[in-house]
Amino acid sequence: MDSILRLEGISKSFPGVKALEDVHFDLQPGEVHALLGENGAGKSTLIKIVSGVYRPDSGTIRVADKEVIFNNPRESQQRGIATIYQELSLYPELTVAENIFIGHAPRNRFRMIDWGAMERRSREILASLEIHDLDVTRKIGGLTVGNRQRVEIAKALSQDAKILIMDEPTASLSEADVQRLFEIVGLLRERGVGIIYISHRMEEVFKLADRVTVLRDGHYVDTRKVADVTEPQLIQMMVGRTIDQLFPKLPAEIGEPILEVRHLHRAPMTRDVSFTLRRGEIVGMAGLVGSGRSEVAQVIFGITPAESGEILIDGQPVKARHPEDSMRLGVAYVPEDRGTQGLIRPMPIRENVSLASLRMLSRASFIDFGRERRLAVEMVNKLGIRAYSIDQIVNKLSGGNQQKVVISKWLSREPRILIVDEPTRGIDVGAKAEIHRLISELAQRGLAILMISSELPEILGMSDRILVMREGRIVAEFSREEATQEVIAHAMMSQTQPAGVVQ
Amino acid sequence: MSTQTVGQEKVAAPTAQNRLKSILLSQEAILLLILVVVIAVLASRSNRFLTTENLLTQGRLLAEVALVALPMTYIIITGGIDLSVGAIFGLCAIMLGWTWDNICLEPLALKTRGMECLTPFPLEASIVVALLIGALAGMINGLFIVRVKVPPLIMTLATLALYRGLAEGISQSRSVRGYPDWFYQLGQGSAAGLPTQIWIMIIAAVISAIVLSRTTFGRSLYAIGNNELGARFSGIPVGRQKIIIYTFSGVMAGLAAWIFVSRVSTTRSDMGTGLELDVIAAVVLGGTSIFGGTGSILGTMIGVITIALLRNGLSLAGVTGDATIIVVGFVLILAVLVNGFIQRRAGAK
Repeated sequence: MDSILRLEGISKSFPGVKALEDVHFDLQPGEVHALLGENGAGKSTLIKIVSGVYRPDSGTIRVADKEVIFNNPRESQQRGIATIYQELSLYPELTVAENIFIGHAPRNRFRMIDWGAMERRSREILASLEIHDLDVTRKIGGLTVGNRQRVEIAKALSQDAKILIMDEPTASLSEADVQRLFEIVGLLRERGVGIIYISHRMEEVFKLADRVTVLRDGHYVDTRKVADVTEPQLIQMMVGRTIDQLFPKLPAEIGEPILEVRHLHRAPMTRDVSFTLRRGEIVGMAGLVGSGRSEVAQVIFGITPAESGEILIDGQPVKARHPEDSMRLGVAYVPEDRGTQGLIRPMPIRENVSLASLRMLSRASFIDFGRERRLAVEMVNKLGIRAYSIDQIVNKLSGGNQQKVVISKWLSREPRILIVDEPTRGIDVGAKAEIHRLISELAQRGLAILMISSELPEILGMSDRILVMREGRIVAEFSREEATQEVIAHAMMSQTQPAGVVQ
Repeated sequence: MSTQTVGQEKVAAPTAQNRLKSILLSQEAILLLILVVVIAVLASRSNRFLTTENLLTQGRLLAEVALVALPMTYIIITGGIDLSVGAIFGLCAIMLGWTWDNICLEPLALKTRGMECLTPFPLEASIVVALLIGALAGMINGLFIVRVKVPPLIMTLATLALYRGLAEGISQSRSVRGYPDWFYQLGQGSAAGLPTQIWIMIIAAVISAIVLSRTTFGRSLYAIGNNELGARFSGIPVGRQKIIIYTFSGVMAGLAAWIFVSRVSTTRSDMGTGLELDVIAAVVLGGTSIFGGTGSILGTMIGVITIALLRNGLSLAGVTGDATIIVVGFVLILAVLVNGFIQRRAGAK
């Protein structure tokens, strides 16, 4: 069969990370080919290579059997490849027609934009997608997400796209819009457009796709006909990883409950969340990106206070209206984004380490610089932060060392409850193991730890108990013994609402 | 001195040599150098420049700018700006004169022509009112910036117009004169050989410098300016700190207004027009980054003094007012370029 797109042996590295290694992919005309994989499996990198944003380090790209090299997105578009990104890339202040024809507006004989032709052709394209209810002279800014997406698709067709990449197209659509999208996908397929479809929603893959390719950790796993696979098989393919390179969890004595959260609610991403955290216990929190895990952490930490629900510490109801409140109650939060939330990057290690505990290091609000230096030196030595001086600017440190600085900042407050959000994201394997050991040792010393992570091996390796979140709710809980990558991944992705949480 | 490592620390303390080097390369040191050059050049152009009398007079004039520049340094370090200081200055000056001149306590009423007033509003109370109005005006800036999230530039641009308009409306373009003698002590008197307001300026500068460099409050300002979100995630009450510094800015504008009225013996509503530009220029000349995160009180003080002496020296040397402004502009650009160069060098390390 003639593929309209064929990728062979694609590899791509970024400093410190191998994003893709020897990946294959092909697309037939009139086919919907789903691309599946966990967060960080390499899907985004792959589509960015196809759309010309990145150049692969090695491997070939063929479009309609001709080998091509894309130096920029424009060259990819000229070959008939269009991408509809998650965050739509339209101009809100321009009209529908202007957005559809931006960059290639029809011209009249004076080389001026032919507005009449532009609107007529916009209407034709939309009509060919069975879209009749969209006024092409309206500004994009006032349209619903579903309508904007239709404009994006029309824009792709106006460029004569033969290959359409859809990245999580249903992520923010209403049910009715999802139905219409499926119909449009059907129409495009009949026209012979090949569609690369990325989605976390399994049911969509089964409903729409002809074939599915699974990536895992930047490697190609397999390509199957959708008719020949089952959902558990796909999940197995996505997550089937070994956890032997991780630091083994140390045994810790689990004591009385310290933190209890009851019916915590803050729209939109924290919905009726209840759980308990005990002394010495590490509770893993799994879920897809955007499932509301960080939001729950930030509600508990007081950054975005709860609208309703209760937080109990040592059985006493407490209020967490500001981070100060939670900090006083012994809660510490190592946030997801080191660069913007965790660190003050232009400031030295010393000032970052002391930032959360300045009051404890000062007398009558005068900072005791001697104590501050001793604290920084102690933390640098204890956590093995590699730096030439405590006065080194943290921005100059490696990711792992930066993360250790964030952890130091919170350990210097001697918290009882530690929430770590993606503690090892973007750091190398060695530093990862050190952070795992540290978390494990802290639990041994009696801290209660809530560990949010998108890496299932980390969750499985470290946790005594595992909570799974989806769409702002806790949808499943597993003990260490019950948990496997498959059951967790299934809970993360399946669409069925558990009984009893509907409000 | 030799390199020292303390105990079994793996990280070395900075050596004396490094410390000396970093002091010499600091922005303040370079500014001081610029200031010395400016003074030397100006002294050679006019023999009236480098005299005790001239310098003390200049000190009187620059104290008001300096007092307002202290909180402005705090604000710019957090990445904010306060354009309304000149207008607050004018409003406070007017309120000082107007309350003293127009309010009668017994009978409690606004004075009218021919009315007999048994107990007039005490001037001391007018001074307190002026300072409170300053605080209130600053706090309004802070509250809107923090709670309504209006960008500081826009908010204080709006209150610049608002406060100036209030001052003009209240004063009805009338000036207030004839204050009692004791009132002039602050603006025209001396203590221990120095003009009174120079003492006030020195005390305020020293306190501001200590607060900024040695307290948790000062540290939090740098943290906010470098990464506001990160500061919030570290439990720093970002909103409260901002409201405090904008309020402080209003109070200091009020204090400066009091000194100004005392110095010039009269009150008019256009007082302090353009003060914000002198103040911001001095702060930026002093090495405080307009993007926030860095800066010092010492730098600001050197900046204030440099601009004031440059103006005075040039006019004594017979340079016209227009040309003086051009030179001040050039020096400002030069200082910013030098600072940028140093920071890039430091960043490349």
